[in-house]
Formats: sequence, C-alpha cells, structure tokens
Amino acid sequence: MRAVLRALTCSAALYAGAAGACGHCVEDKVASVYDYAVASRAFSQKQQVAFFGIDGALVVNDDSRRALEGVARGVAGVDPDSLRVSLDTASLSIAFDPRRTGFAALQKALEKRLASRHLTLLPMKVMDAPATLKAAPQ
Amino acid sequence: MTASRIVHLALACAAAVALTACHQNTPPPKAETPAPAAAADPYDISKMDLKPVPAKVTSERHTGPFAEGSALSTAPELKPLDPAPVKTIRLDTTHKIIEIAPGVKFSAWTFGDQVPGPTIHARVGDRIKFSMTNRSDEVMPGVNFTAAPMMHSMDFHAAMVSPQDKYRSVAPGQTIEFEFTLNYPGVFMFHCGTPMILEHIASGMYGALIVEPKDGYPTKVDREYVVIQSEFYVKPDPQHRKIDGQPLYVLDGDNLKKAMSSYTTFNGVHNGMVKKPLVAKPGERVRLYLLNVGPSKTSSFHVVGTIFDRVWMDGNPDNQFRGMQTVLLGSSSGAIVEFMVPEAGQYIMVDHHFANASQGALGLIDATGGATPAEKNDIEHHNMPATSTPDDPAAVAGKLDFESKCLACHSIGRGKKLGPDLLGVTRARSDDWLRKWLKSPEKMLESDADAKALLKEFNNIPMPNQNLSDKEIDQYLKYFHWVDSQPEGSIHSAEGSH
Repeated sequence: MRAVLRALTCSAALYAGAAGACGHCVEDKVASVYDYAVASRAFSQKQQVAFFGIDGALVVNDDSRRALEGVARGVAGVDPDSLRVSLDTASLSIAFDPRRTGFAALQKALEKRLASRHLTLLPMKVMDAPATLKAAPQ
Repeated sequence: MTASRIVHLALACAAAVALTACHQNTPPPKAETPAPAAAADPYDISKMDLKPVPAKVTSERHTGPFAEGSALSTAPELKPLDPAPVKTIRLDTTHKIIEIAPGVKFSAWTFGDQVPGPTIHARVGDRIKFSMTNRSDEVMPGVNFTAAPMMHSMDFHAAMVSPQDKYRSVAPGQTIEFEFTLNYPGVFMFHCGTPMILEHIASGMYGALIVEPKDGYPTKVDREYVVIQSEFYVKPDPQHRKIDGQPLYVLDGDNLKKAMSSYTTFNGVHNGMVKKPLVAKPGERVRLYLLNVGPSKTSSFHVVGTIFDRVWMDGNPDNQFRGMQTVLLGSSSGAIVEFMVPEAGQYIMVDHHFANASQGALGLIDATGGATPAEKNDIEHHNMPATSTPDDPAAVAGKLDFESKCLACHSIGRGKKLGPDLLGVTRARSDDWLRKWLKSPEKMLESDADAKALLKEFNNIPMPNQNLSDKEIDQYLKYFHWVDSQPEGSIHSAEGSH
C-alpha cells in the first residue's frame, strides 16, 4: 500500500513537472540517477543520457530492482551497463546512441519490457553534453 | 454528560457572567475618542517583497574563488554588516578533503570550499542575488580521492520562494542564479537539497545566513561569533586509500541512517575552538549566533560559567527568553544568545548532551587576557591533541577517546596526575592485564597485586569503570602501543586537568 502511495505521489509530481510546475521534483529525480562517469563516457562516444521517471505502481523491493536493471538488455542503441535506477525516486537513466535510436524509440523499447509490470516511463531530461540538462522530447 | 462537556459548559457560563459584569461596569466609549491605532505588524505579509524573478540555469561556469561576496564571513568572527541593500553572493560547490579531527581526513562536499560554508550576513529588506556553479567536477591539486562529481542544489531557509524554481539541482559545470528578499530576521540554515539530502548535509553542504532586524538588534555587544554544530558519520575508506600518510575516511551510510554519528563538531572540527578559542574580555558582552545543522541530532547548547541574558530563538528578537542556562536546538534550528563574561577565565561551550560533547562538540571562549600559559592550561580540561597522530583508524579513535575522557586523570609523558603517566604503559603491562584493567578495574582491585599497589600509590583513588566495550579497549591499546612505538620524547599529551 505504501509503495503504491509512493508511486502515485511520484507520478503526480512528474505529471506536474511535465506541465512545467514541478521542475524541482524532476531535477531531483534526475540527480538521483545521474552518474558522472556514465555521462562522461557517453559524451566521449557521442552518446546522450536519457532520464525517465517511472510511472505506475512500482513496488520497492529487490525483485523490482533486478527487473529494472535488466530492462535495457537487448535494446538497440543502448549500453545496458549504463542503466542507473533509483527505486526511492522512481527514476532511471541510460546512455544511448542517437545515431542508432531516437529518444522516443528508446522510451518505447524500454516500456515494452516494463509492460508486464504495468509500468510506463515519463520523459524527464536528456543530456547531450557536459553541463547541459535539456527538456526531453515529449 | 462527560467531564469535558461539563467543563466546557462551566467555562461558557463563567464567560457569560464575566461579559455581563464587564458590560455593566464599563462606561460606554465616548464617540469623540479616536480608537487607538493598531500596532503595525512588522511581519505584514502584504508589505513583504515576494516579487518572483525566475531562476536561471546556464552552462557558463564560474572560475577563480569558490566563494565571493562582501557579506560573507569565513571564520567564526562575524564580519560587520555590509550596508549595501543588494548583496551579491557566490558559493560554488566543491568536493574536497577536510580534516574533521586529527588524523581524520574526510571526503567532503562543500559550499564555498569549506565546511561549514561561509556565513552570510544581511538584514531584513536586503536583496540577495545568489549564484552557484556546481564545480564538483574540478580536480583539486594533488588530490584524487574526492567523491565522484554529482548534482547539487541550494536551499535557503531564509528565502520565501518556489523551491521548484530556485532550489533546482544542477549538474557539474552548470550555474544557477536566483534572487530573493529577506523578510524575517533570524539565524537561518542553508543546505544542499539534492537527494539523498541526508547524505549531502552529512557530507558538509550547509551554512548559516544571519538576517538582522531592519533596525538592528535591541542590544549592543562587544563580540559576535558564529557557532555551527553538526555531526559527521565516517568510516575508514574500504579501499584503504591514504592522504599524506593518513587514512581517508568516507561517509558511513549505514550509521548515517541510524543517526549513530562518529563526531559532533562546532564549526566542522572535533573540539572546534579548543585549539583556537574565541576571544573575549572580562566584562564584555558576547553574542553567539548558533545554528544546529544536525542532520539528525539535537543540541543542548550551554556555556559553562555563564547564564544567557537573552536568547532569541531562531535568531529573531521577537522570540525572546531571559536568563537561560541551555538552548535546545533541533536540526536546522538557530538562536542568538547573549551573555556577559563575568571574570577572567576560559568559558567552555558545550553541547550538554554529553554524548555529543564527548564526540567533539566542545569549544572555549578565552577571557584570560594576560593570564600565564600555565593558568590557561589549567582550565583547558579537555583534549588538546598531541601534534603527532597514528595512521591506524582504530588507534586514531583510541587517541581521540583518550583525549576526551582520560586527560583529567592521566597524561602521556607529562608525569603523574590523579592517575599514572601512561607513557610506556604497554611495556610495563601486558595487553591481557590492560584489557582486564580497562574492562573491570574494580574486579582487578579485589585480586590483583599490581592493581592494589597502584591504588595505594595513587592515594586510594580508584580507577572508575568506564563501561568500555571490547572495541573501545582495542582502540585504546592500539593508541598506547602507537605512543610507545614513537621515538622517546616525541609524544606527549596536553596538560589537561579538571
């Protein structure tokens, strides 16, 4: 129940963020899955880093963590090892190669793997260079 | 009818009777008498400056100093108020190694490259124009052990702004700028608000913003100091990295969540301001701006030998107490205390939660003036650390414990006091004997001939049982062994005494 409430709260906050009223929440979620090493490596390889909120009844346990950490395996254009997950803030980040996949296609591919858990992704931000956090394509 | 309803009924009846009596005894107001003007509310929201200016985030990074602004004080001494109504403040974030206690080099995160961050001094009505570059990605010369760069933010408790706009987290290399007007006087905390906030605060990202009342304080003082209490939760680096031969310490996340701190400090240093006391003179009035950062403990701030003439909770003179002995401060609570220095002496600032004091929440106000060093040392009854420090973390812990708890009765290399000089103790006694002695001195005194001889030698003053854990005893022994392994004459403790 608490997990559901937390997930709902996060979802509400994210929706508010998408409407431009909750940038704080979005950036905090981004911060929780921001990994400097991943970002630096991605930029050096001309990749980008995508940040997503996780929407739905996310259960905070090891099973969810394992499932989310494996969600990028086999997705074209991404480095699965770059995936970072925060169950506490219901967010994830991943590096992707824009020459091989677009942001929307990446979201769709990841969501396909999350469908069995009734989870979807909410675009938050994308980084394509150091010190830049751009609004994610909607 | 329940008891509470009866009470309510009785109160209502009493009020009705009182009103009737009042009505009967009070002459009707004269029409020509003007009604007294209501006192102006100094916190009238309609007169506050709440004009929002959106925050700006850019990729243009600051270079040069990590802190800038005429309103900043980097030491406990508070600089005089800059009269300018607009104060431009720059506090960049850095990752650096700080020394919390002798031999405890900690991988910290900072505002303005120091822990606590510089104190900001302003007054009600001032406009703060703040900017901050996240410079956590800058390599510090000669140091490769700082934490990985990460996102940071700034949360001013003195500001009335939208946190979603102003307190945004920014990535390494980004700069955030925002502004706000100070509407309430107080001693306010600022801190990083990026998740996990607990880790960011415990790593050093905090400071104080002091806001004076628009017309100044109602009292005049001779000295003004800022004292910020905070806890550190550290453990030796699991990778056993060292800096200048000393072990690196990193954040202990497990103990952080359990609020089991390793050190509690004033102004970021174990026994802060014992080595460098705050200065005052007999007869002077001292004002301390207190902030208890936490992140998770309260503070019972007390100055031995004084009574606080005035206490302004949260630093606002409208919240005044008189004649207080301690000030209880929760996490992120502030206060201003003022007291008179009654006579020459050293006045000990302490968290009267003595578990916190034993972790380092101690400081001195030195009002000895022309007293001789011997007289000064006589009053310094706690922990002046020796110059050298072991590099084994357990021995460092033993040293700090020794300096906090044992100096009243023992010395190292300075001769007998109430108890023996402990220089050479590991050569004179076996570890097994010392373990038993430290664990249960009263049992040893029942049966051990050496223990009985010691009691006799020291005027039948028994060693009290300190209820030490096996781990603490190990740490003491490691410290004593380290002392005895040093060149003769090179190690001695401070001249502590009660």
